[in-house]
Amino acid sequence: MAGSALRRLMAEYKQLTLNPPEGIIAGPINEENFFEWEALITGPEGTCFEGGIFPAKLVFPPDYPLSPPKMQFICEMFHPNIYSDGRVCISILHAPGDDPMGYESSAERWSPVQSVEKILLSVVSMLAEPNDESGANVDAAKMWREDRDQFNKIAERLVRKTLGLPPP
Amino acid sequence: MKALLATVISLGLTTVVIGNAYYQKKQFYPSIVYLTNSNPSMAVMYLQAFILVLLVGKLLRKIFFGQLRPAEFEHLIERSWYAITETCLAFTVFRDDFNPKFIALFTLLLFLKAFHWLAEDRVDYMERSPVIGLLFHVRILTLLMLLAHADSYFIHHAYQFTASKGPSVQLVFGFEYSILIIMIVNILIKYVLHAIDSRWEAPWESKAAVLLYTELAINFLKVLLYIGFVAVMVRIYTLPLFAFRPMYETMRSFKKAYNDVVLSRRAIRNMNTLYPDATPAELAAADNECIICREEMHTGAKKLPCNHIFHAACLRLWFQRQQTCPTCRLNVLRAPAPEAGAAGPAPAPGVGGHAPHAPHAAPTPPPPGPPPPPFPNMPPPPPMMAWGMPPPPPPRPASLASLTTAELQRMEGNERRNIEARLQLLREIQSMLDASVLLMQQYSTVVANLPQNNATVSTQTETRIEEVNTTSTLPTTSQVKTEPDVVPTTSSYKQPSPIPSTSKSNDTPSPVQPDTTTPIDTNRDKTDVDAADELRRRRLQKFAMDK
Repeated sequence: MAGSALRRLMAEYKQLTLNPPEGIIAGPINEENFFEWEALITGPEGTCFEGGIFPAKLVFPPDYPLSPPKMQFICEMFHPNIYSDGRVCISILHAPGDDPMGYESSAERWSPVQSVEKILLSVVSMLAEPNDESGANVDAAKMWREDRDQFNKIAERLVRKTLGLPPP
Repeated sequence: MKALLATVISLGLTTVVIGNAYYQKKQFYPSIVYLTNSNPSMAVMYLQAFILVLLVGKLLRKIFFGQLRPAEFEHLIERSWYAITETCLAFTVFRDDFNPKFIALFTLLLFLKAFHWLAEDRVDYMERSPVIGLLFHVRILTLLMLLAHADSYFIHHAYQFTASKGPSVQLVFGFEYSILIIMIVNILIKYVLHAIDSRWEAPWESKAAVLLYTELAINFLKVLLYIGFVAVMVRIYTLPLFAFRPMYETMRSFKKAYNDVVLSRRAIRNMNTLYPDATPAELAAADNECIICREEMHTGAKKLPCNHIFHAACLRLWFQRQQTCPTCRLNVLRAPAPEAGAAGPAPAPGVGGHAPHAPHAAPTPPPPGPPPPPFPNMPPPPPMMAWGMPPPPPPRPASLASLTTAELQRMEGNERRNIEARLQLLREIQSMLDASVLLMQQYSTVVANLPQNNATVSTQTETRIEEVNTTSTLPTTSQVKTEPDVVPTTSSYKQPSPIPSTSKSNDTPSPVQPDTTTPIDTNRDKTDVDAADELRRRRLQKFAMDK
């Protein structure tokens, strides 16, 4: 009998394929290994990321859902809450014990109630509304606060890049 | 490609160096002497040896692990850097013994360590992979056996060497290999657990607990080893800086494992004993799905104090990490358990009015009316402090007997406010009784030291309790009536005035917190509560008769 983590991931996969949330596609990269997923996230409408399709990788720990998965964008991203290597920094992806930024209350942290779908929806809303206090990417946070036009330009370039279009 | 290039270059260099030596000296021994005396040639030879070690490592890795996963590779590199840094630190301590053999031994140690790490990662991966072939088992078991043999051989060697020639760098090796062999035991246990788990059809619930205890034991052993090693090193050489980082990490994980075990045990005990099993109706109302594993709940579901329902097995796993409700993050260890309701201030007869959420809610629903004294579960010190001073004069009529029935009823009041005020007062009585039990405990310990006073203890107890009741119940009009019958008893037990004794026990800080959850205290509370109930009943009877 495979572990409970595997069964839960299979259940979530099934759920996501039956009722896909809008603008999100996610599933295992390879059906042999349910612990690594790929997700495609559409940039939320009405934001500077509108129209982009951003691929990301989700890696689940063996004790999922007791511990959170890790999420990393595999395209170039420029966002206050995304590290320059693509790792996503949102509170629900942090286990209650560790606090990399030292500002989150444990109420916003990971718990088994969360799911892939909720994570991806949180990421969509993070794209729409960056939290410039957390500062995974300090440059992006600074630009978001002080030079929104420049930030929007970079975002537009990234959107075009994910779509395979030449820069404007 | 890069590796191939490096191999070819180093092989070429070695050939050139050896060829050069042989060309110059023409004979075997002279050329060897020439090689060992020339620093550049030795550098080339070291490089060649290093490359060879890497190649052998690669070969063994292919044999035992096949292709490494990227995560494993990253992990390996990261740990290697730490290990190399620490080895360099170790070199500084043993710089006197510095020679090629010494370096070779350290390289071997690093080499073996790398395989221990890989084996550990691979066994951890077992839990995640849906299919585990026979090849996997054969590989892991052979590797573990080989590593265990190597470790025990080196431990034995280090022991023999130290026993015959006194302390040397072999101490470090003996210690390092002991740590490694503990690691092997740990990996083996994990392997067996995962293997059993993968054979069973049903999920094995207690596996996580077994893993937790194994970790605790293993970490304990490691901590002992590290402490012993540091002590020995400090006595013989100097502070072993290179052992500090792993020692700190081991201690931290030991502490974490210990905390996990203690807290999860408490949470799981709470779960097993206090929280009710969910009924089928509740299950149906809650969608019948356990939100932890996303599977249906049929049996073995538990309801937390916050009314959220989960599989007991899933909860047990989660409690080993966090002692909170997964949905609302209520801390189950701090949350008022139903037990507290039973032992706590429930017995007041008027509490029936609060019945709707009595079984699960906090034992003290926030009292809206009168000023709320801060006591959730345990009686705080304030009431005790108040005893030191004269009791506050409550507003009371000169004599209740002179009032008419209508007046009395008006005083008693029927509005919610009055009832709440009464309940509030009853609770205060409860907490004062608790406090008085505490005082009595202190008092009796004092008295136990003065054997001649034994006789007075019992009478004093009664005085105390009755006095508490009279002073605290005065404001409740329904009970004021009883005063006449209590006062005489108080005055008849006039022997030692209670005031001085109280102030005396106030001076000594209270050693025992009145914790209603410990069984002994609960019993004491019970008896006291019974006494109070008895008293109350008498008063009510009297009141009814007067009416």
